[in-house]
Amino acid sequence: MKERFEKDLNKLKSEVERMAELALSMLVDSVESLKTLDVKMAENVISRKDSLADMDESIEEEALRMVAIYQPMAKDLRTIAAVLKMITYLYRIGRYGKDIAGMVKSLEGKGHIAKLVEIPYMANSVADMVRDAITAFKTENISLLNDFEERDDKLDSIRYSIFRECITYMMEDPRNITQCSYYIMIAKYLERCGDNACKMAEKIHFMVTGERIEIK
Amino acid sequence: MSKYAIEVENLNIYYGNNHVIKGINLKIPQKTVFAIMGPSGCGKSTMLRSFNRLLDLNKNARVTGSVRLFGRDIYAGDIDSVEVRREVGMVFQYPNPFPHLSIYDNIALGLKMNKLVKSAEELEGRIEWALKKAGLWEEVKHRLNDYPSGLSGGQRQRLVIARVIAMKPKVIMMDEPTANIDPVGSKKVEDLIFELKKDYTIVLVTHNPAQAARVSDYVAFIYLGELVETGETGKIFTAPGSKLTEKYLTGKLV
Repeated sequence: MKERFEKDLNKLKSEVERMAELALSMLVDSVESLKTLDVKMAENVISRKDSLADMDESIEEEALRMVAIYQPMAKDLRTIAAVLKMITYLYRIGRYGKDIAGMVKSLEGKGHIAKLVEIPYMANSVADMVRDAITAFKTENISLLNDFEERDDKLDSIRYSIFRECITYMMEDPRNITQCSYYIMIAKYLERCGDNACKMAEKIHFMVTGERIEIK
Repeated sequence: MSKYAIEVENLNIYYGNNHVIKGINLKIPQKTVFAIMGPSGCGKSTMLRSFNRLLDLNKNARVTGSVRLFGRDIYAGDIDSVEVRREVGMVFQYPNPFPHLSIYDNIALGLKMNKLVKSAEELEGRIEWALKKAGLWEEVKHRLNDYPSGLSGGQRQRLVIARVIAMKPKVIMMDEPTANIDPVGSKKVEDLIFELKKDYTIVLVTHNPAQAARVSDYVAFIYLGELVETGETGKIFTAPGSKLTEKYLTGKLV
């Protein structure tokens, strides 16, 4: 019985890792397509949304089935609870990727007003946070989560600087407003993705130690 | 009066040279269900038996430390063990109604022997009350003179519980009360435990963590005669403080 549970649990956890890969690919590729305004790539990102939703649903179903069948306790229970929360955060992250990809299509004919530097930087930082969270989930090495608060603060301040910069551009020339309002939104989405990564970190910490922490 | 039904202090129990319970301290709040859980052979039943001096009957057993029942040390010199057992009722693993007595007489016997009722009407009233409390009245009211052999395992166990309740104890101890009962009967006994805690303190010994999780308010985890951890049920089953409890609950304790 225990072996069966362990086998199912490992499978469930690797499904979460797969979903994380998918969500991350959507986020990372959407920002990549934004840099070059590559509509084909953006459309490809959007097309992944159904698989994301399917995984969200199938993992939830499997987790509920395991609760019903095995009635897990203690760490086993915390792991399944963490999975149920994590898939929601991962789903959100993937969906933000899809939303950014949607903007690439609207921006297509317009071009960028400057070379994008901070947005890709933010996207990379968020992606690293999600990767570290997933590694911690897999290996239970929670020291990877120690600096999440700092990293999240940094994302917040970059978002703010993007906002300030965009305001300047918009005041300079109202024709910049369309692009700038997209940049502001994208920065907001990326910052939200950072929040989702932090929530994942909290759940993973609880899963491993049984103690709750609050990031920021 | 103490707000605890039972307070155990530095309890040690020996069978000959075998040290089975090792320095346990425990406080059981009144009118709660307190589960003692642990793997087979960890000493949980032995400890339970020390709470109503049942170990006195075993010449080989030796108890040190103190067990206070509502503030009174039951191992103090001037305490009558029979009186203790009247206050602390016990339900065992195997439903054991007296097979040669009718359902009615099973409950009447203790009341008569201890002269706890003054009249026939009072006796009848008390039996009906106890059977109702145990949730068995509707099922047996038309056959009170039948023998318990005609009852199902779950019904027999509830009859035993009625027999205990009739004596109006303060504490009810249950040692694996559903171990020999089918799931439907077990569920009824569990529902009954939940009802009974309004009036009684219930100490439940179980090797079934899921049952402890379902019915208890507090849990103590005993391993190899030592108290590993005690606390609120919700906390222990989601995030226990001890690695050993964690292992036990996730089936990794070999």
